Amino acid sequence: MASRSFDDWIEATARRLARTTSRRGFLGRLGAALLGAAAFPLLPVARARGEAPREPAPDDAALTGAAGDPTSCDYWRHCSIDGFLASCCGGTATSCPPGTEMSRVTWIGTCRHPVDGKDYIISYNDCCGNSYCGRCLCNRNEGDRPVYQPGKSNDINWCMGTETTAYNSTVAIVLGVATPSS
Amino acid sequence: MRRRALVALVAVPGLAQVAAAYTPDVEYTLHCEGCHLADGSGSPGKVPALAGSLARFLRVPGGREYLARVPGVASAPLSDAALAALLDWTLRRFDGATLPADYVPYTAKEIHALRAQPLADVAATRKALLEGTDPVR
Repeated sequence: MASRSFDDWIEATARRLARTTSRRGFLGRLGAALLGAAAFPLLPVARARGEAPREPAPDDAALTGAAGDPTSCDYWRHCSIDGFLASCCGGTATSCPPGTEMSRVTWIGTCRHPVDGKDYIISYNDCCGNSYCGRCLCNRNEGDRPVYQPGKSNDINWCMGTETTAYNSTVAIVLGVATPSS
Repeated sequence: MRRRALVALVAVPGLAQVAAAYTPDVEYTLHCEGCHLADGSGSPGKVPALAGSLARFLRVPGGREYLARVPGVASAPLSDAALAALLDWTLRRFDGATLPADYVPYTAKEIHALRAQPLADVAATRKALLEGTDPVR
C-alpha cells in the first residue's frame, strides 16, 4: 500500500509539473544558460594569465594549397617543425595518434600566417609512447637554435615527463598571436 | 641528428642576434613555458615550479641576483631590457601575492651585470639560498 501511495504521489507531482510549466520555456532558459556558460570560461582564464585573451588561431579555410594542408610540411604552422606529422600518423595537426601521449613539455616558436601576416605562437608538442611513425618527415627550422640552447632547439626529443620517452610524431598547436612589444 | 650538429656549429654567429621583441607574456610563452608550463607548475624533480615559489628568493641575500643568473634566464636570447621586463612579469604573474613590499623591478643595467656572471653550480647555490626558507617545491 505504501508503494502504491508513493506512485500516486509521483504521478500527481509529475502531472502538476507538466500542467504548470512550459517545456519550451525550459528549453529557452537552458539554451540561454548554456550560451552564457560558453562565454564565461574566457573570463577566469584571462584573469589568471593577467592579460587580455590571446587572439585565437586564424581560419585555415581561406588558405589554398600546401599552406593550408595540415598533412603537408609546407602547412603554415609547420614552419619550425622537425619530425613526423601527427596528422599523417593517425592524429591531427593538434591531436596525437591513438596510443600515444602528448608531452606537456614542449618547444615553442612562431610562424607567420601567410594571409594576415601576423606571427602566431606555435607549440610543437611531441607525441610519445610508440615507435617512430615514419610518415611525413618534415624538417623546417625557422627560429630553431643549436642544441646547446635546448629550450629553443627542435632537434631534441621533447618526450619528457611522459610515460615513455619513445618519440612517435609531433603536433603544431596555435597558442595565439605573438603580440609585438610597443 | 649528427648532420644537424654540424649545422648547429655553423649557426653560432646567429647567437648574437636578438629575436623580435614581444610583450612579456609572449616572451614567457616563447622562452619559459615549454618547460615551466603555462601555469608555472613545472615538473616535480625536473623543472622547478615558479608558481608560489619565486618570491622566496627575493627574501634572502643573493636571491635576487640568483634569479637573473640561472641558466634559463641569463642565456635567454633576449635583450637586457626585454629580459628585465620578462623577469618582472614572471615574478608578478606567478608569485605576485607574496612579493616583498620593497621589491623593485629589475633594470636592464642590473640584468646586464648579472647575466655576465654565470653560476658554476646552480643546484648547490639554490639549495644554499633556500636553506631556512619554506620547503622547496
